[in-house]
Amino acid sequence: MWRTRCRSEPMERRELIHWLVATAGIQCLDSLAPGDLLALGRDVHAAQQPAMRALTSHAERTVSAAAQQILPGADVTAFIDKMLADWYTQGERERFLAGLPELDTRCRARAGQDFVTCAAADQVAVLTALDDEVGTANQHWFAMLKYLTVYGWCTSEAGQRALGLYPMAGRYDGCAPV
Amino acid sequence: MKDVTRFDAIVVGSGMTGGWAAKELTERGLRTLVLEAGRPITPERDFVEHKPPWEMPFRGLGDRRTVAQRQPMQRNSVSFDEWSHVFWTDDADNPYSTPSDRPFHWFRARQVGGKSTIWSRQVYRWSDLDFEANLRDAVAIDWPIRYADIAPWYDHVERFIGVSGQAEGLSHLPDGPFLPPMALNCVEQHVRERMQEKFGRERLLTIGRVANLTTPHLGRAPCHYCGPCHRGCITRSYFSSVNATLPAARATGRLTLRPFSIVRSLVYDARTGRVTGVRMIDAKTKTERAYTARVVFLCASALESARILLNSGLGNSSGQVGRNIMDHIKGGGGSGQIDGWTDRRTIGDRPNGIYVPRFRNVTARHPDFIRGYGFQGGAGRAGWSAALRAPGIGAALKERLMQLGPWSMSFWGFGEMLPREENRATLHPTLVDAWGIPTLHIECQWSENELAIHRDMNVTAAELLEAAGATNIQPSGGPSTPGGTNHEMGTARMGRDPKTSVLNGWNQLWDVPNVFVTDGAAMTSSGNQNPSLTYMALTARACHYAVGQMKRGEL
Repeated sequence: MWRTRCRSEPMERRELIHWLVATAGIQCLDSLAPGDLLALGRDVHAAQQPAMRALTSHAERTVSAAAQQILPGADVTAFIDKMLADWYTQGERERFLAGLPELDTRCRARAGQDFVTCAAADQVAVLTALDDEVGTANQHWFAMLKYLTVYGWCTSEAGQRALGLYPMAGRYDGCAPV
Repeated sequence: MKDVTRFDAIVVGSGMTGGWAAKELTERGLRTLVLEAGRPITPERDFVEHKPPWEMPFRGLGDRRTVAQRQPMQRNSVSFDEWSHVFWTDDADNPYSTPSDRPFHWFRARQVGGKSTIWSRQVYRWSDLDFEANLRDAVAIDWPIRYADIAPWYDHVERFIGVSGQAEGLSHLPDGPFLPPMALNCVEQHVRERMQEKFGRERLLTIGRVANLTTPHLGRAPCHYCGPCHRGCITRSYFSSVNATLPAARATGRLTLRPFSIVRSLVYDARTGRVTGVRMIDAKTKTERAYTARVVFLCASALESARILLNSGLGNSSGQVGRNIMDHIKGGGGSGQIDGWTDRRTIGDRPNGIYVPRFRNVTARHPDFIRGYGFQGGAGRAGWSAALRAPGIGAALKERLMQLGPWSMSFWGFGEMLPREENRATLHPTLVDAWGIPTLHIECQWSENELAIHRDMNVTAAELLEAAGATNIQPSGGPSTPGGTNHEMGTARMGRDPKTSVLNGWNQLWDVPNVFVTDGAAMTSSGNQNPSLTYMALTARACHYAVGQMKRGEL
């Protein structure tokens, strides 16, 4: 957990990096210990991944914002890009990329803005409506987005920790209290 | 470095049985060459069981495109995943064929340790219910051995590999020198008790007997319940060649292990009626070379050992090489929900489940089929992976992912397959592998007996679940594809008569006495138990015999 003098609540390191990049928080780094700064530096460099391969920068920001509303705290954009670039078929990828702008269309109709700049309440309303409409149609682009967000979070370090799967227990108890 | 080409013994394959042959032969003084078709394995580099999903490029979903091109068959294995796929062969380099309407799954491993790195580690002894079965039912041919012949070798193997399990005193599933059993979870314990009330000792639920350590054992650490054993084991807590037998062989100073060495055929000397060694191809340089030895052990896996014999034109005066392919039929069983225990969960990933030993045709005779089946399975609560498509978004969805579902109990049957001559592998007339070696055409299908066993699995699993008070009982699916259990065996069977069998009662080729086949090829029937323990015991027994014969000058 990381704390800076500019933000009261503790953050995961990865979360801190995103916050630093997204805000003017860079000037708060003086409140970090030298060892922490070093570790942070390594992570920032690691975080500067090469550009997305399947997602345009607008699509990247859209996916990132949508993922945040589907599962708060989910950092899954790089995973989703990787899946689109290297895992899905061309047809699946095109279906996803062709469908994604519907988030902008719906937000504009609702609030006159693209999805990423929409108010959180409008984003939630758009996503909830899509979730209701799409239901179990797993081939739909929105089902792909939601599935990738959920799967990506569950298999991320933060997700595995939250789910109690990491670090491993190192023992077996077949009748432990919940 | 001078390449020594003359040895006392050559072992083809370094897996489950090859590792045992290496250990037993070197410990009895033989300078032994082990030829392994695949790459070397360094546990610290190659075992990846602790690599978390976020360090995998596809988070465990696998490299779909590459797998579709290179491993379209191997990916069907239950142990195949993004971590373990490197422990399975490349299908494009290692082709085989089947009739288009009779698929056969041939799961293959080529690396030091073979399939012993990816096996499911369940180990069950056979009894005379199994060894006498063919004779009793007048099926195929009689085994040349009985339980008394192999029992000391089961002891020998189990003491070395380390088997955790619960002694139950069943005559048809003999106990061994077990390490402490792994625990049943609370629902499995409940099901055990309810089954006891309903069926007495006839249908018994016990913890799986598994080659995972529960105490320190011969320098290996006990299991720490990380779960995915098929990705390797850095703490050597389960038995594999890499973890146990090959280090023991190496410690003698008499082991030479040569990876990337694909044995093409045996070299036969018509003057002596014996083989002088093997001809192999270096997998990387594709150059051919020969090694000589006084005795050769084929431990290349059932179908590969048969392939080597067929490619050598040896050992087949009976016409039985490649025939009698057996696997275990699975796909039957069932699962149901067990209400209660909602305040209880499991901690840690136990690499083991429950076992229900065979109860059909043990005392009473079943009208529809001979032989029987056992159930594996277990109880658990569904976690996040069952909620990947859950409705909703936001904090409520996250909450849903963290909830555990109700307890469910599952039984998965593993049924005996009868030996039938028409289930056979032959050399393909034209198809060769990446090294130009003729490959196999495999024809294998279930008979009515196996299909009747499969149907009965669904019936009795439901009975067990009803006894346990389960609700929403669902039968399992249709029969598995032959080969799919990865228990293929029988392609160079043991017997009492050279006219109807390939090997004698010591796993020795009738036709060529200095060749032994000790992998699954040797099996005369299939039992319903997971077979690796029996392969290992047969191997150790055959090594003991071979060295005795060599010392007496008869080999």
